[in-house]
Amino acid sequence: MTAVALFQSVLASLPEIVVITGACILLILGQFLRKGQEPFLVWASVAVVLIAAFVTLMLAGEVRPAYTGMFIADRFAVFFKFVFYLATVLTFLLSQRYAETEGIGSSEYYVLLLLALSGMMIMASATDLLSVYVGVELMAICTYVLTGFLRREQRSNEAALKYVILGSVSTGIFLYGVSLVYGLTGTTQLDAMAAAVTGDPPDPGLLLAVVFIVAGLVFKVGAVPFHMWIPDVYEGAPTTITAFMSVGPKAAGFAVILRVFLNPLFATSDVWIIVAVIAVVTMALGSFVALVQDNFKRLLAYSSIAHAGFAIFGVVAGGADGIASVMLYLLIYSFMNLGIFGTVIMMRNGDFSGEIIEDYAGFAKSHPGLALLMLLYLFSLAGIPPTAGFFAKFYVLVALVERGFVMLAVIAVLLSAVAAYFYIRIVMVIYMREPERAFDPALTPLVRATLAFTAVGTIGIGLFPAWFLRLAQHSVFGG
Amino acid sequence: MGFPLLSLIVFTPVAGAAVLMFLRRDDAVRWTALGVTILDLALCVAMLASFDTTTHEMQFTERRPWVPALGITYALGIDGISALFVFLTALLGWICVLASWAAIDRKVKEFMVSLLVMQALMLGVFCALDLFLFYVFWEAMLIPMYLIIGVWGGDGRVYAAFKFFLYTLAGSLLFLIGVIVLYFHGGETFDILALTAQDLPFQVQSWLFFAFLVAFAVKVPMVPVHTWLPDAHVQAPTAGSIILAGVLLKMGAYGFLRFSLPMLPQASVHYSTLMLALSALAIVYGGLLALAQDDLKKLVAYSSISHMGFVTLGIFALNLRGLEGGILQMFNHGVTTGALFLFVGLIYERTHTRSMAEYGGLMKAAPVYTAFLALFVLSAMALPGTNSFVGELLVLSGGFAADLAIGATAVLGALLGAAYLLGMYRKVALGPASVARFSIRDVNAREMAAILPLAAFVLWVGLYPKPFLDIIDASAKHLLMQVHGEGSGQ
Repeated sequence: MTAVALFQSVLASLPEIVVITGACILLILGQFLRKGQEPFLVWASVAVVLIAAFVTLMLAGEVRPAYTGMFIADRFAVFFKFVFYLATVLTFLLSQRYAETEGIGSSEYYVLLLLALSGMMIMASATDLLSVYVGVELMAICTYVLTGFLRREQRSNEAALKYVILGSVSTGIFLYGVSLVYGLTGTTQLDAMAAAVTGDPPDPGLLLAVVFIVAGLVFKVGAVPFHMWIPDVYEGAPTTITAFMSVGPKAAGFAVILRVFLNPLFATSDVWIIVAVIAVVTMALGSFVALVQDNFKRLLAYSSIAHAGFAIFGVVAGGADGIASVMLYLLIYSFMNLGIFGTVIMMRNGDFSGEIIEDYAGFAKSHPGLALLMLLYLFSLAGIPPTAGFFAKFYVLVALVERGFVMLAVIAVLLSAVAAYFYIRIVMVIYMREPERAFDPALTPLVRATLAFTAVGTIGIGLFPAWFLRLAQHSVFGG
Repeated sequence: MGFPLLSLIVFTPVAGAAVLMFLRRDDAVRWTALGVTILDLALCVAMLASFDTTTHEMQFTERRPWVPALGITYALGIDGISALFVFLTALLGWICVLASWAAIDRKVKEFMVSLLVMQALMLGVFCALDLFLFYVFWEAMLIPMYLIIGVWGGDGRVYAAFKFFLYTLAGSLLFLIGVIVLYFHGGETFDILALTAQDLPFQVQSWLFFAFLVAFAVKVPMVPVHTWLPDAHVQAPTAGSIILAGVLLKMGAYGFLRFSLPMLPQASVHYSTLMLALSALAIVYGGLLALAQDDLKKLVAYSSISHMGFVTLGIFALNLRGLEGGILQMFNHGVTTGALFLFVGLIYERTHTRSMAEYGGLMKAAPVYTAFLALFVLSAMALPGTNSFVGELLVLSGGFAADLAIGATAVLGALLGAAYLLGMYRKVALGPASVARFSIRDVNAREMAAILPLAAFVLWVGLYPKPFLDIIDASAKHLLMQVHGEGSGQ
């Protein structure tokens, strides 16, 4: 590698470098912080992400392949990186008060989140199965630790342990698929792989490899049959981390899935049938099991499974519109899901956990404004216009019908009618029950800002989707 | 593109709702809501005053790009079919505010906001000229309506609200798929007029016809997907019932007129017998159910099913008299049934019972009330001189022209209507005064203000329907030309 190429590579990966460097500096600085200076950590972490975002934006002008085909900085990656930045910054803002209440506000918490962010960014930019692996592991290991951050709580420990074991197995499966691919094609680069495969019909070994790789990736987005970890981990983890995981790592998983499916090797095979089945089953399971949940976090866990299923429908559709629809879906999902999680996090105050749905009975009576926000997020998650959630679903359906998958579209909407039931059930509890207790949400200015921002996103993208749609479509073609 | 009158009509209630958010006193909220709805009505009257009845073209059109990448535009416009419903929605809007004046005594602000948002969305549905925009309005209505039923309704309100929400959602999601399929078959546009001009293969038309039918039939509602209606009506507050019966039910029929007939003409002709049979079934079955009710609200709710059967019968008779009668009957039903729900609400506020068995001899206690009730009951029975007579007569003559047996069944339904309506009036108003334990006062000025305009329309349409038929005429003729001209080759 020449010096120029090295420089180009460093330049292309500058955002990642910024985040990792920032994380290291914060780790050191964190040791010198005295009690009561935790807010500094929040602002420093936000600053790191903002600098990275700025750098990303500066470099977004052109496509930059780097590290001899392992890595690429293109518009596709930029789009996803901004979803990650959004998720991370909002998580930071939500964390401050919550971390104080739970006693987890040490510098490691923020450092690990930043490192997870860098892992996700690498995933979005990876063009080689091995760099995908590096990104996935970096992200996963950080989230394992973060899940278990409530050290004194059994739930949290159990969740972390489950997550580590299942996550490792899935990584193993993924690596096994990669090794098969390498054995058959002699490369792990996505582009080179496609070029190496010319035989028709394709090698059955390759099909096996594809199945393994799909399985490993599907674990990260929590699709059936690799969804088992989600409810337990989401319930046990600190709620801020749950919020983060439901948006960031999930989007990162989809970034990789899309990148892999952009690859002709997969696009020409019949692997879409597997993916279609996964989509249907995932959405069905998420929607139906969520119907009987009493715990808000578990319900949101199953809801996130259902949403992953819907997004996978976009992957099935494929093509430019299919990919753009998944990207737009994830962006919109970030807004509304962080919004609803923000309200759950805000309820955690003193001894009040706010994790049981019944806890919200009559919330609208004392806090009409906050109740209205929850209403907005919940109807958006249910996909009712004019919220953004509707447009996200609508565009996926358009992509499906465009490719002639009308039956799949019908299945998708029928299942989302089922899903609507459990969202409006929460609305019912909030609006149509009599309050049993006084509410005292921890409404710090930072939480306020987060809720306002997500609400504007949820309603704004719904009313004026054109710009965001163009952004998503533009980002596809850049890849 | 001139002055955006339709946008103004649609978004005035939204602006009003935004203002309400900042008001604190309940009375201020009520008066502001009333002012906003009256202003909206005034705008609608201004719109009708300059409405050109000689053309079937869309009028007052507005068009702005919204999501250009998908061919979605913000397009509004009205023709003779939608004009009456825009007016009806605005008319019932302020009557709803008056009807809720005293009946809603908690969370008044939230209620009025829901009501105004609801009105804006309903107006939007009737004005939209873009399928996507139409769908957004159509589906967004679920949110305020769910809240109106679920928060301010009766004892079983939660169940009723859920049922209403899920029925309509499931129906309209299939419609959404139909819309997207239509989008790709019709050259990637959501423009309703452009899609109307498409000539789709019969196979596609059939599929779409049934996808649309599910959504519209739930809204109308047609038998057998009507079961949400009695629950929703009975549990909803008076204003909710008026909106449901007066406007929401019309949207299903409006969907047939705006989409099924012009866009899928061959399928509409092909399946018209099925639709006529379903309509006749709804007329008779709804009538029989109404006959068996003791609850006043349920009776009116089931009578709605029967009356909407007349509307769909007229539409799918696919001849001019049926079509014009059906459209006029939609307007009439909105006025008459809206008034009947208002009357049930008025009496319920006083006695807190809706059971007919507990009433009797109301004529002595509240003579003005019973006199007007008589007018609306007679109107619902389609007595000559009232609005429904004109509409029903046209529908029946259209129905007989289309199919003798269907027409005969519909007449039977009209007889049933007389039976349950007169029975209701006898039990409530006549007979010995068993209401001694209620202290009933007659209607006051505010209630009178809600009743009088409706009564005026009952008589106006009944005695001189020409202005109303004039509005419908050109568009109805054009619609029939679209159906038969390009359809069966007649």
